[in-house]
Amino acid sequence: MMRAWAVALITFKEGIKNRVIFGIFIIALLLFAATTLITTLFMRDIVKVAVDLSLSTVSFAGLLTLFFVGVNLFSKDIDKRTIYMVISRPISRSQYLVGKFLGLLLLALTVGFLLGALSALPVIMSKRFYYYTEARFAWDVFFIAVVYIFIKLAIVSSIITFFASLTSNSFMTLVLAMVTYLIGESTEGVRSLLTSGIEAQTVSPLLSSLVNIAYYVFPNMSAFDLKTQAAHGLPVSLAYMSWTALYALVYITAVVAAGTLFFRRREFP
Amino acid sequence: MMTVVAFENVTKDYRTGFRKKKTALKDFSLAVKEGEVFGFLGPNGAGKSTSIKILLNLIFPTSGVAEILGTSAGNAEVRRFVGYLPENPYFYDYLNPMELLQFAGKTSGMLAGDIRERTENLLQTVGLWKERKRPIRNYSKGMVQRTGLALALIHNPKIVILDEPMTGLDPIGRRQVIDLILKLKSEGKTIFFSSHILEDIERVCDRIGILVNGSLVRTLTVASEHLDKSLEDVFIEEVEKAGGIQQ
Repeated sequence: MMRAWAVALITFKEGIKNRVIFGIFIIALLLFAATTLITTLFMRDIVKVAVDLSLSTVSFAGLLTLFFVGVNLFSKDIDKRTIYMVISRPISRSQYLVGKFLGLLLLALTVGFLLGALSALPVIMSKRFYYYTEARFAWDVFFIAVVYIFIKLAIVSSIITFFASLTSNSFMTLVLAMVTYLIGESTEGVRSLLTSGIEAQTVSPLLSSLVNIAYYVFPNMSAFDLKTQAAHGLPVSLAYMSWTALYALVYITAVVAAGTLFFRRREFP
Repeated sequence: MMTVVAFENVTKDYRTGFRKKKTALKDFSLAVKEGEVFGFLGPNGAGKSTSIKILLNLIFPTSGVAEILGTSAGNAEVRRFVGYLPENPYFYDYLNPMELLQFAGKTSGMLAGDIRERTENLLQTVGLWKERKRPIRNYSKGMVQRTGLALALIHNPKIVILDEPMTGLDPIGRRQVIDLILKLKSEGKTIFFSSHILEDIERVCDRIGILVNGSLVRTLTVASEHLDKSLEDVFIEEVEKAGGIQQ
């Protein structure tokens, strides 16, 4: 584990010093500023809009970090053969892959943590400056929603790790990880549409089973989206939080383990 | 003397297309003894880097066995005793040599104090101490090569494997590397290195292996075996005898 952690630290250091990270931070800060301005266009639900936009910014910046910095951290190792320097040391391929995943996770969480803390600012400003504020807003739910964005980013890190273990091409890894993420965002909606209401009778059994397979294979990203609860101050049950966190843990472990199985047999000529 | 690096009937095929393959190493066997400086000589594409990569478990042999200190090259733990400099090394752009050496020391099981001490010694030796805080992306090719050498030696390995260590170095840098290899030799390290530069090989090696088209066509002891001919003549003769270079 110590060796995997050394790989994680070097991955994190390389990632955090990348200039793209500063670009992502600037975009996020501009979006936070825009959030404050946009809320002035609304007559009511001002805090709801501020919460929604702030949390979306944190999620967006985390995803940008993973897709544009994280993917590169993996593929550059293989494209430029930096991996020779790492796995010619007493580090197994599994330790390398787990270390890379942890490094990516650390990077996404650092960006998420800093922006998560800053995301409170537009909400505070909306609450202070505008006459109309919602009574049901609660900070604890807001920060639970931020933590669930972290969990979502951890799942995306594991997906990137998995595809990077299979392909040597950064573009392929990027496309496959993005597609998986987008499918994961929509499977729950599609499934509930097809299994309830009038569509349940008209849809073919084949399509229905395909959607079911996709629902179980792809990560259910919408389960981690607590923006609505945060915006309206709706309580999130402990059972819901525990089950979704456990689901994420199992999914991440399975995906990284599958990645190590492929990576162990991979050659670096 | 103990055998520290061994290849036994190693063959390596690469897939080059559907049902097409290229044999990079053919039934290759070699034993390098402890304390020996073994030079690997061969034209481009002869299989020098392939054999080194098999030894470091970067690629796997199609058949045969590669061993380090009597242990399969696939065992990660054995690499604790090995230092490796790849051909045209590339390191993390935004890190500096201090950070890289710290990583290398830590993963080789060194203590923090030893890493600090050894880092300073090595960076002084390779002439990078003053530049130690600059990110590697601002380094010249020769400086990157010297960082690679420091990385290969940070954990004081028993076996040093160098793949074309003179690539990109100016005459002064080349001289420094030669001196470093001679110093390592005097410390009793086993050195296994490949090069195109016959003069360098001849200067530092105890034994030379000539590899042509994936086969080891000849091994010779530098001190005794080709006194009547230059190494260049011997090399060209062996390449021609093996049927020239097959692409």
